Amino acid sequence: MSTIWVAGAGVVGRRVVRFLAERPVGIVDPRVRGWSDDVAPGDVVVVSTGGRHAVLAAELLGRGVSVVTVGDDLADCRELLDLEDQARTNEVALVIGAALSPGLSGLIARSLSDRLRECSEIHIALHGTAGPSCARAHHRSLSGSSPSWVDGEMRSTPGGGGRELLWFPEPVGPMDCFLAEIASPLLLHRSLPDVPRISVRRSARRRDRVTARLPMMRSPHPEGRIGALRVEVRGVDHDGRRVSLVHGVAEQVGTASAAVAATFAEAVSVKELPAGVTLAGDSRVADLRLLSRVVARGVRLQEYIGDLA
Amino acid sequence: MKLIIRILSALVLAVLTAASIRVGSREATPPSRGGWRPVDPEA
Repeated sequence: MSTIWVAGAGVVGRRVVRFLAERPVGIVDPRVRGWSDDVAPGDVVVVSTGGRHAVLAAELLGRGVSVVTVGDDLADCRELLDLEDQARTNEVALVIGAALSPGLSGLIARSLSDRLRECSEIHIALHGTAGPSCARAHHRSLSGSSPSWVDGEMRSTPGGGGRELLWFPEPVGPMDCFLAEIASPLLLHRSLPDVPRISVRRSARRRDRVTARLPMMRSPHPEGRIGALRVEVRGVDHDGRRVSLVHGVAEQVGTASAAVAATFAEAVSVKELPAGVTLAGDSRVADLRLLSRVVARGVRLQEYIGDLA
Repeated sequence: MKLIIRILSALVLAVLTAASIRVGSREATPPSRGGWRPVDPEA
């Protein structure tokens, strides 16, 4: 059985180790010289550090090590997608975006779209952050360009706009959400290329939006409070009716992200995922029922049942 | 320079916080409009 190494001992990294405690697992710090000396070809590295992951992933793939990344940086995910040939050549797996979104959002979007005859829209919304790196990414994302697919075309819309009041599972409830620079639409389109409209929003206060282009005014919390994810899929069901299906979770972002990352890392280590790039929304991932495995780790999936009044 | 930016940021923060308290916010919680129930992903 290959060893799973977790690069980064932040909120997510520590929980990945906890989830995988019954397997050979270790934690490493990529900032330390010689950190990868113990990492052998055939092992799996979960990259849960802040910042970009593409350079580190390329180095590991070149050494015959499979990689699971936990990040939502748009430019970084583009660079990671370009590593597909390198992963195939070295016969190792590269999982891009195994966190809350991208990650769990892709698993849910795939499971909902598979219930429809025709899926026309996927809309993702996020609330909350994991550790300090995640909070900084949240801050930056509101001043970046939000990638959206509209009628089959990729559009970049300034982050911080596109306000929509969305209901998350309790205890989070209703939150104002805004377009943000998150890689989820880019990755989801690759998994579900026939869906013409895909968007991603995240909750923010007015103050977050106004100050997004400034440095963070105060140091981020060691860990955010309860966060949430909401995935809405619209389309036509097998009876020909237009329907809107909404699933979500309310959980600490670090815990949910770690559950997803641990599930993918485990699948890679037992060779369930093939060489090359794997995304959470891929059909072969749905075949492995990874969403059920994430739920089994304690992330409670909920279904929106509409107006209770 | 960094200090000046931080001071200005703190001032902006204070003004915005005061303004949102005074004016009230659209971000205030609206009445409940939805229910959620646990679901089995395999269902």
